[in-house]
Amino acid sequence: MDPSEVEFLAEKEMVKIIPNFSLDKIYLIGGDLGPFNPGLPVDVPVWLALNLKQRQKCRIVPPAWMDVEKLEEMRELERKEDTFSPVPSPYYMELTKVLLNHASDNIPKADEIRTLVKDIWDTRIAKLRLSADSFISQLEAHAKLDNLTLMEINTIRAFLLDSLNCMYKLRSNLQPGSSKKQFTDY
Amino acid sequence: MPCDRKPMRYGHSEGHTEVCFDESGKFLVTGGNDGDVRIWDGLDDDDPKFITVGEKVYSLALKNGKLVTASSNNTVQIHTFPDGEPDGILTRFTTNATHVAFNGSGSRVAAGSSDFMVKVVEVSDSSQQKTLRGHEAPVLSVTFDPKDDFLASASCDGSVVVWNIEEQSQLIRWPLLQKTNDVSNAPSLCRLAWQPAAFLAVPVETKVHLYERGSWNHVSTLSDDLLTQLVNVVVWSPCGRFLAAGGVGGSLTVWDVSSKLCVERQKHEKGFTVCGLAWSPSGSQLAYTDTEGCLGLLDGLGSSGSSSGTTVHGKAAKDFDDLFDDDDDRPMDEGLSDGHSPGKKPHEDDEDEDDFHVPATGRARNRGAILDDENSLDAGSVTLSRDKYDVADGGAVLPAAAAPAPPLRPAYEGPLPTAPQKAFQPGSTPAHLTHRFMMWNSVGIIRGYNDEEDNAVDVEFHDTAVHHAMHLTNSLGHTMADLSQEAVLLACPGTDELASKLQCLHFSSWDTNKEWMVDLPPGEDVRALCLGRRWAAVATSALMLRLFSIGGVQREMFSLPGNVVSMVTHGEQLLIVYHRAPGFDGDQALGVQLLQVGRRPKQLIHGEPLPLSPRTHLAWLGFSAEGTPCYVDSDGVVRMLNRSLGNTWTPVCNTRETCKSKSDHYWVVGIHENPQQLRCIPCKGSRYPPTLPRPAVAILPFKLPLCQTSTEKGLMEEQYWRSVLFHNHFSFLSSSGYEVDEEQQTRSQKEQQELLMKMFALSCKLEREFRCVELAELMTQNVVTLAVRYAARSRRMALAQRLSELALEKANQMQEEEPEEEEEESEVTGRRHSNRRHQEEEEEEEEPVEDVCVCVLGSGKPSSSPAHRATSILDNMASGRKSSPLAGSVGKPNKGPVLKPLAPRPKTKTQSTLLQMTSLKKKTTREVSQPAAEQQKQPEAPPPAPPPASPADNAENTRPKTGFQLWLEENRKSISADQPDLEETDVIKEAMGRFRTLTAEERLSWTERAKGQTGDDLKKRKRGGGDGGGGDGGGGDGQAEADENSAKKKKSLDPSAKLSAFAFNKN
Repeated sequence: MDPSEVEFLAEKEMVKIIPNFSLDKIYLIGGDLGPFNPGLPVDVPVWLALNLKQRQKCRIVPPAWMDVEKLEEMRELERKEDTFSPVPSPYYMELTKVLLNHASDNIPKADEIRTLVKDIWDTRIAKLRLSADSFISQLEAHAKLDNLTLMEINTIRAFLLDSLNCMYKLRSNLQPGSSKKQFTDY
Repeated sequence: MPCDRKPMRYGHSEGHTEVCFDESGKFLVTGGNDGDVRIWDGLDDDDPKFITVGEKVYSLALKNGKLVTASSNNTVQIHTFPDGEPDGILTRFTTNATHVAFNGSGSRVAAGSSDFMVKVVEVSDSSQQKTLRGHEAPVLSVTFDPKDDFLASASCDGSVVVWNIEEQSQLIRWPLLQKTNDVSNAPSLCRLAWQPAAFLAVPVETKVHLYERGSWNHVSTLSDDLLTQLVNVVVWSPCGRFLAAGGVGGSLTVWDVSSKLCVERQKHEKGFTVCGLAWSPSGSQLAYTDTEGCLGLLDGLGSSGSSSGTTVHGKAAKDFDDLFDDDDDRPMDEGLSDGHSPGKKPHEDDEDEDDFHVPATGRARNRGAILDDENSLDAGSVTLSRDKYDVADGGAVLPAAAAPAPPLRPAYEGPLPTAPQKAFQPGSTPAHLTHRFMMWNSVGIIRGYNDEEDNAVDVEFHDTAVHHAMHLTNSLGHTMADLSQEAVLLACPGTDELASKLQCLHFSSWDTNKEWMVDLPPGEDVRALCLGRRWAAVATSALMLRLFSIGGVQREMFSLPGNVVSMVTHGEQLLIVYHRAPGFDGDQALGVQLLQVGRRPKQLIHGEPLPLSPRTHLAWLGFSAEGTPCYVDSDGVVRMLNRSLGNTWTPVCNTRETCKSKSDHYWVVGIHENPQQLRCIPCKGSRYPPTLPRPAVAILPFKLPLCQTSTEKGLMEEQYWRSVLFHNHFSFLSSSGYEVDEEQQTRSQKEQQELLMKMFALSCKLEREFRCVELAELMTQNVVTLAVRYAARSRRMALAQRLSELALEKANQMQEEEPEEEEEESEVTGRRHSNRRHQEEEEEEEEPVEDVCVCVLGSGKPSSSPAHRATSILDNMASGRKSSPLAGSVGKPNKGPVLKPLAPRPKTKTQSTLLQMTSLKKKTTREVSQPAAEQQKQPEAPPPAPPPASPADNAENTRPKTGFQLWLEENRKSISADQPDLEETDVIKEAMGRFRTLTAEERLSWTERAKGQTGDDLKKRKRGGGDGGGGDGGGGDGQAEADENSAKKKKSLDPSAKLSAFAFNKN
């Protein structure tokens, strides 16, 4: 899956906005949104929030976890634990990216948040690589990884599958019983 | 001496904290480790003013509007009080000062420092300093002699020293304390205190030593068995009679010095060490602070103290004698002190000399009651000034005996008046903040900035469609603002030179002048303002209310009954809350007026008291978006005007209940009734939000404080009454000529009725039938019918009966209220029907058989409009059901003999079949009634009816339904005229009798009139009757419906139809 596709999925997440216009309920396939009252928070999907924000029709209220203190705590936890710790949102990376790119003026301490999320991300990807490495080096048949987000799975999928395939081929060539014909197939 | 320990307040960050009162006793002033001096307007002040004086405040003293603080930058500074302007540096040390103290007149300040020095500085001229050197360790505390000659200090070197200030020399030195190397390590702060008269109190471990001025004798020791930990700080009451001590471990002890008895013991609620103590000037309150930065207050010391003061009055002299007898036992000390005074004499001026004599004379007088004059004679030099001193001393030495206390402590013991709450704009944060909300309402936000860089006002609209955001420079210093869809209204209080101004930015104006300004008359200040639709109102300090048009035309004005507290508008309504009277014991006495200002000006609420929770003030005032007045008190209780209950106020929400922590609050910004929303801003640890980060609005649900809302019953009751309350605005709006969303209204009514039905079902389940009926009384008629069915289905016959009575009543009411509605098709028949129906409903009461016929005939009429179908169901239901018990028991005696054959019918009929019946009947009756109505109009009656005297039962049976009833209608009047005192029952009996006396032809013609034409729809009826019979499930003679239908048919059918009729009868 493409990262942009994952981002697209992330845009279905709900986020609170404070609209500065008045509109009755709108009825969409995915569900009803609104009513929009100026000054009153309302939950909308991220895609709509961004659209409204770009048209300067609302202020985005950052999700509760998008807070320096909470993220710092999470970063510490992530660094301390060997396994993956639970993330505040299944799309934390994507949401941070889109919200900070488009609505950084509505999010206090945007730069710090960006750094913190990047830190968490790096830590987790490092863990992921490490676990992939040990998975391969220990010749395990399967591994269980909890609390991975879609984006994280996607970043490793292409590489891991290809390399496993490759290794499989290499290994099967090493087997005494393997024929040369097989080799030539590849 | 009972006193009231108030809950502790968090004042400063952890660390040494000091407290003192200002001279009026109104403000508490605390200084702490966070470097701030907070000025509390009473302990309940949630928003104390603060002055930042440094990084830490080690000590503070307040007198004559000068606030002296020892702060961390090694200086002793002065700030003005209460403004908090820096007023220079009094003195400097090489390290931080540890304690500062004023002298009695406030002209000098003494400061002790960690660099072992004590300095005495003139407040007016800081260059005049006296330095007292001699301590060998940091100074713990300093205190002035009440006459300014001496100064006592305690130090970490373990000594307590009395200095002669003028000579800057040590007078006497007591090694009383433990030696330590620093203040922070000292076990006790050893805060000394000098009685307004004579004694120097020194906390020594767990006791307090009293030394006598002049003789410097240790005259007594105050102790308490329960006092086991070190005493930290002592302080004298303003009258000098009581000594309060606070110690390690949070002990608070008050002694009556004259009796040496402990009169009050209190413990700090958390057991923190008390490090600051202060008596209020009135002597009634004792404030204390602890090393954790908290502030506490003991209240009520004075009132009880004064009462005991009067009783003690008599024995005071004796007590004092005892006290001084005590030192008489120590002649050595006395001699020593005596030796001191002459020794000093030569070096001192006259005043000092005199002062030295005074304690001696005081003692002499106490022992021997020698007069003042003699004392002065003793002293040998009589001058005016000395006389004055003597008198003063005499009073001070014997505070109880000479009673100087009363002026300080008023004898009044009743409830004390509360300071009236200041006027405020609802939706604004306090004016002293540099960044504040001047207004947050449903239209937008006005923020005020008042710092070094900028004095500006920002106006922002929630809905940018109203207007773009505005940024205005606030050169006039506006403090009040309001915002509407049309304009921004700003006002500033007047100053000495400038009058109070009102500025309006009328941005919706269609001309080019978007702004106007008005000066108020000199001396009149704007206190509150608000913007209505196309007008503005301003309440002023001159108790005036001035109305302006939005364009700036001055309109009506009137006087207010009291100082305004707050004012809001909605459309044409104006709600004013003002001080009705002084409140007592923390309560505010507020009054409220609600006026209509528009085309038909009138007053809706005439200055009635505004109910507030005990000991609270008004925190927010406003209208709901729908125009119902609401307000919030400082306890977070939201109340709403209930117009349907005589303009009473109903609490609809307690915002504090949803708060997580005690110090959290909700800052209300708006109320909506539809949907039910309380819009507010959650504030963590404060009462109002900061401007940054931008607060987000949260929505709270309403909840009426009904009992037992945890139970299902309570929950539904709450929902019902809340729904009722929150839909009052519909009637208000429609009555004041607004358009009402009828769909919403009907939806809300439906919701209420559903709730009632649920409650009804619940009560049914709980076997509470009486309650069921009570609930049914609240229902609309349509719903009662449902309730009847429910009751019937759950086999509660008694209940169902009562309910159907109720339903009838309601139906009657409805009929009476709207009789015209029904006359749609033909006025003649319509009227007839309704007339008949009325009569017959009355008749039903005693005539079960007729009941049924009522159903048949009566229900035909409402069927014309579907809305009334339910009504007809009800009729059927009600009458059908009613007939059963009545006929079975009570009904019997009333019944006419002719009706006998039907008597057993209701018994066999089960309720369930009845219910089935009703639906069927509905169908059939509708079919039947229409033609029946036509019949009545048409005089020609085609098919010859069978003779009335056919099978007797049938004839009798049918006649009342048809011919008899018609006849009865026409003849009722004559019957009742003949015998006016007849009961309804009797009327009918009589009528029956008369009817039977008629000739057969006459009877026949009546029958024809009623029934003759039914032949046309015979087929339909047949089918209906058949269905009815089927529904009855072969109930035999119980099939009333079938009987009746078939009976009717028999009457009207030609012989060929008889067979089919017979077929029914078999049923």
